[in-house]
Amino acid sequence: MSDNRENMDREALAAEHALNVLAGSEGAEARKMETRDGTFAGEVARWRGRLASLFDEVEAVLPPGDVWNKIEAVTHSGHAASNVVALRRTANRWRAMAVGMTALAASLGLVIIRQPQTAPPPVVQAQGAPLVAMLGDSDKQMKVVASWDPAGRQLVVAVAGDMPADPSHAHELWVIPAGGEPRSLGTMPPVRKMHMQLADALAQLLKQGATIAISVEPPGGSPSGKPTGPVVVSGSLDRA
Amino acid sequence: MTTSVDQPANPTLRRDGELERLLPRVASGDRDALKHLYERTSAKLYGICLRIMGDEGEAQDVLQDTFTTVWTKADRVDPGKASAITWLSVLARNRAIDRLRARRAPAASLDDAEEVPSVSPSQLDVLERDEDAARLKNCLDELDERARLMIRTAFFEGASYPELARREGVPLPTMKSLIRRGLMRLRGCLER
Repeated sequence: MSDNRENMDREALAAEHALNVLAGSEGAEARKMETRDGTFAGEVARWRGRLASLFDEVEAVLPPGDVWNKIEAVTHSGHAASNVVALRRTANRWRAMAVGMTALAASLGLVIIRQPQTAPPPVVQAQGAPLVAMLGDSDKQMKVVASWDPAGRQLVVAVAGDMPADPSHAHELWVIPAGGEPRSLGTMPPVRKMHMQLADALAQLLKQGATIAISVEPPGGSPSGKPTGPVVVSGSLDRA
Repeated sequence: MTTSVDQPANPTLRRDGELERLLPRVASGDRDALKHLYERTSAKLYGICLRIMGDEGEAQDVLQDTFTTVWTKADRVDPGKASAITWLSVLARNRAIDRLRARRAPAASLDDAEEVPSVSPSQLDVLERDEDAARLKNCLDELDERARLMIRTAFFEGASYPELARREGVPLPTMKSLIRRGLMRLRGCLER
């Protein structure tokens, strides 16, 4: 009986996840299950296919021409643009980065100030405090700032500068616990800044002293689950 | 102003073969293939993005994001599992919803834009069966009107449980059980 009940719940969860109605921790839980549980992932895939027939109702609308120009700029090799960052190295970009970092610092400041006077002992507090890793290559062509908020389990990754342009490869983000094996945090989309909500299993690896790294991988990410290409930048997590 | 167009002739969920052949070329870094794919599918996908985002500028950002994702993830499509247009439509919808939710999350206030979670490989998995497509509409029609309306709103507007509950002015558990029961009834009908 309870097996049946469990199956029903699981099938409902697969449908809800495909419909994308789950929010917050429920959504995170479903995403986690999807990556770990092949049967569940198959059910979600089937539901996506079922629901997809509703797309028939959507009317096609011609997009303006400049959308293609932007896509082409991002995918064009031989320029500063790459599949990770479509960046021009302009003062504007750097200024935007500086503004972003100021905002980040301010928000981290707030988090720290909000700690009550009766805060837990320093060691415990250190584990719950926001962490930051500065990632930069030796030529300082590119900088990445990864900031980790354990309370919200949110990792924010901001990129500035140039990554080696190579559209036939993906850039994959890793966490390497001190003395541990690299674990993938996913491939990086072509945006300057992204935030990721991490599942518990990954969240617990983001501790002071852990390394955050970006490697070059085949499109779609490392096929083996371990870094296969060169590491372009890395840095270790430290108190903000 | 947006202009509605009839072509590409309302690409239905049927495989047309040509699009499926373009994807491996895109995966190998062929920009002409990407352009061709864009010409054939962007109007449909832009329609989907517009419907979910409700704003032309945002819909264009999502369309761009969708194709730059295709550029790096085209190798993930298994033509035996889904047609190219269905896969692209699911991808566009998921990217639109990711963007909606990222915008509403507290961390989005750190910066103004471009903060969208990356695509996880499993998010791109779609299994399409012709019999499902043929039946879905009939089965949806068999649901209570309210359940049908909520499922459609969730699908076309990317609304989550909390948003749907807020809009309808009902407690969250009520909304969850309404949709969950609807989905299970839908499944029962599809598998009949």
